[in-house]
Amino acid sequence: MIPSTIVYGDVTILDLLWIAVCLIIAVLIAKVVTINIKRSLKDRMDRDHLEITTKVVYYTIIIVAVLLALPALGIHPSNLLVAGGVVGIVIGFASQSIVGNLISGIFLMFERPIKIGDQLRVDDISGFVEDIHIVSTIVRTYSGLYVRIPNEKVFTGIITNYVANIARRFEYVVGIRYDDDADLAIEIIEDLIDEQPFALKKPSPQVFVDNLGDNSVNIIVRVWAPATEWYGLKMDLLWEIKKTLGENGIEIAFPQRVVWFADEHRKREVKDAESDS
Amino acid sequence: MRVSDIFGLHEVPLRIDLEGISITVERDAGGIRYKRDCMDEEVEDLLLSSNSKIRINPVEPVNKPKELSPHFLIEFEKSIFIEPSARKTVFIKFPVEIGVFVYGKKNFQILDIFTLNKQKFTLYGDVINGVICKYWKSEVYSTIPDANPVYEGVMELNITNTTARWVEVTKAVFAAYGMKIYYSDDMVAMRANMRIVSKKVAEIDFVNPPLEKGMKRSLELYTSRLRQIPVIATKFLMDEGI
Repeated sequence: MIPSTIVYGDVTILDLLWIAVCLIIAVLIAKVVTINIKRSLKDRMDRDHLEITTKVVYYTIIIVAVLLALPALGIHPSNLLVAGGVVGIVIGFASQSIVGNLISGIFLMFERPIKIGDQLRVDDISGFVEDIHIVSTIVRTYSGLYVRIPNEKVFTGIITNYVANIARRFEYVVGIRYDDDADLAIEIIEDLIDEQPFALKKPSPQVFVDNLGDNSVNIIVRVWAPATEWYGLKMDLLWEIKKTLGENGIEIAFPQRVVWFADEHRKREVKDAESDS
Repeated sequence: MRVSDIFGLHEVPLRIDLEGISITVERDAGGIRYKRDCMDEEVEDLLLSSNSKIRINPVEPVNKPKELSPHFLIEFEKSIFIEPSARKTVFIKFPVEIGVFVYGKKNFQILDIFTLNKQKFTLYGDVINGVICKYWKSEVYSTIPDANPVYEGVMELNITNTTARWVEVTKAVFAAYGMKIYYSDDMVAMRANMRIVSKKVAEIDFVNPPLEKGMKRSLELYTSRLRQIPVIATKFLMDEGI
């Protein structure tokens, strides 16, 4: 009989089939349990904590099932402790990058510089954190691309988390003509900022003449906004400023040069001399 | 129609045209059509129900223009100085947001929220540890002030100074999860306690009894969420300055 054929030691093909069935059942149980956890806690936990909780539960069930199945294969967990050190070194050398990513993933989960749903930049990649796996982090770029970044690269790279702090500031430089009233322009811009709900009252916005440029009086506009609303406000406000300044006769200055032609200059000098005499 | 007639349980069909608010609820083939026009914002919904009612009442003032934070900060026009070991009561105003609920088969569902007030957010604390709050500025009154209930509500704030020194209070921050809103024909009201524990730290929570007898309790949005998530604190600890 094939099922009773011994593969090695006392382990038969039937044992292997039985273990495979047990592991499949364990995976199914793990999936059912995690789906139920997700359903019942979806409204009560944020997505980031929920993902971590379900992953911990899922892998715990799988590991327990594997440990329970090992004796049937003639391997006792106590033997693993002895063999584990040696095997660990071998695996470590053989799969340095995978282990590196795994350890980085564990540190990422503990240090938590990023959470699922955050907006980040790692090296040249910017976007939303979709998931943090044990060896890789999934990012959805702003243009909708799926990017898988190994955790080692995330952990050792420079992470810029755009939403880690609750508020952030943006800045415009508005250059108006020298003929225009800068005080009036500042008043108009301050009123426009005040009308925007997401332009925070505190920290207070700053609007002031920063410098007298070659072609324009440069007004700096600094506005704080909730990190989640920052970009939308930045997009809306600049055009509102441009339109409202224009409606009040204040124009954005263009680069310009006054050019004097030599002949015209000489004529003017003669004319001036004649009028003096 | 009077201002006070807006709040309460209404039968369908319903028509409200008041203070710049236009609400129409009428039966339509297969359901109920809800329309609202206010402050240049129009909403239209179709309810697949035959015998529902409409309930309109004030809700927590943290939902418009977007549900960004459950915290609400009221800055006082003038600072209050409270003497050591004293308990004083003042009144301030807060903006009213109006919630429209559909009621059918013993179940309420929020349909729409609107307000006639200007919206503004602020940051309480610093950008790392602080919280985003809905912002409002109010005078401080020693007696209950007059307020149009469609625009503004009145909050009784009982301030207890537990310290042995004078304390200056310039603002108060509230958590929407603890708000208990009541309304009557001429007023929307809440009551809160502010317990000052040091020169820069205070604890704020809401009080259950209404400001005046006979006031009706609003159907709040955050209170129902509190039943789903019982671990959320209803008090707010102002530890970034008062």
